[in-house]
Amino acid sequence: MNEKEFASKLKPWLERTAAGIGEVQATKLKAARLRALDAYREPVRIFGLVTVPAGTAQTIHYSIVQRALLLLPIVALIATLAIRSAQETDIGELDAQLLTQELPPDAFLDQDFRSWLGKSQF
Amino acid sequence: MERRAFKQAVFAVQDDEAALDIVQDAMMKLAEKYSAKPAAELPLLFQRILQNAIRDHFRRQKVRSTWTTLLSNLGMGGDDDDSDPLETLEVEEFTNVPASPAERLEQSQVMAAIEQAVKALPERQREAFMLRYWEELDVSETAKVMGCSEGSVKTHCSRATHALAKVLRAKGITL
Repeated sequence: MNEKEFASKLKPWLERTAAGIGEVQATKLKAARLRALDAYREPVRIFGLVTVPAGTAQTIHYSIVQRALLLLPIVALIATLAIRSAQETDIGELDAQLLTQELPPDAFLDQDFRSWLGKSQF
Repeated sequence: MERRAFKQAVFAVQDDEAALDIVQDAMMKLAEKYSAKPAAELPLLFQRILQNAIRDHFRRQKVRSTWTTLLSNLGMGGDDDDSDPLETLEVEEFTNVPASPAERLEQSQVMAAIEQAVKALPERQREAFMLRYWEELDVSETAKVMGCSEGSVKTHCSRATHALAKVLRAKGITL
């Protein structure tokens, strides 16, 4: 009898030993299986990216393109904040120029003064 | 699946409670940490987690026994034996119950002899044999789970088979 033949004859006996485990152990194993199934969350895949429960991320291996996709929202957020910050600086500079000029800011709201200013530039 | 895993753990650690803990932890780890993996990879991953958990058990046991020996040598005593031997006695339930009491007795004797022979195998031989022929993994999958070469798997399997055949033949058991 060769190795495979012997193993194939032994396997049903091993299955019998597994089927013959005690009631208490069988119940505990079933409960453990249900707990594990409860903890298992079916992942959702979008563009090859996977949504997973906490602790799973370390087991996922993404390609460079997928990693770039993951970083996209962070890059967009940083860009938005940078643009806003730049705009705020511009307004601040304008305010400072207005306040440090000899003319009062109300003068620029005066229609006649603005039309005179427009003509005098030409 | 969990019954086979449990028996594998029992063959290895020879303690039902410890085996139960190992299988429970392995199932939980698979569910919590590897849910993103394709379903086809899960059985192999489970086997790898299970075998690692069994190895971890032996490592912890080794550390514990070192400390126990140290403490008992110092006269402090290791008082951690609070397991109840009655808890390990279970009434066995068989799916294929033989017709006559004589057949039932014979079957339980064969099963006991096989369990004993499997438990007596060296750790790596038992691991290879169980994965290859009970879990029906191929040689390369078994090598991946065990973290060794395919050649080692073949050697372990061959030695395990010969050892089991020899023990069973000596006991007059023909499969």
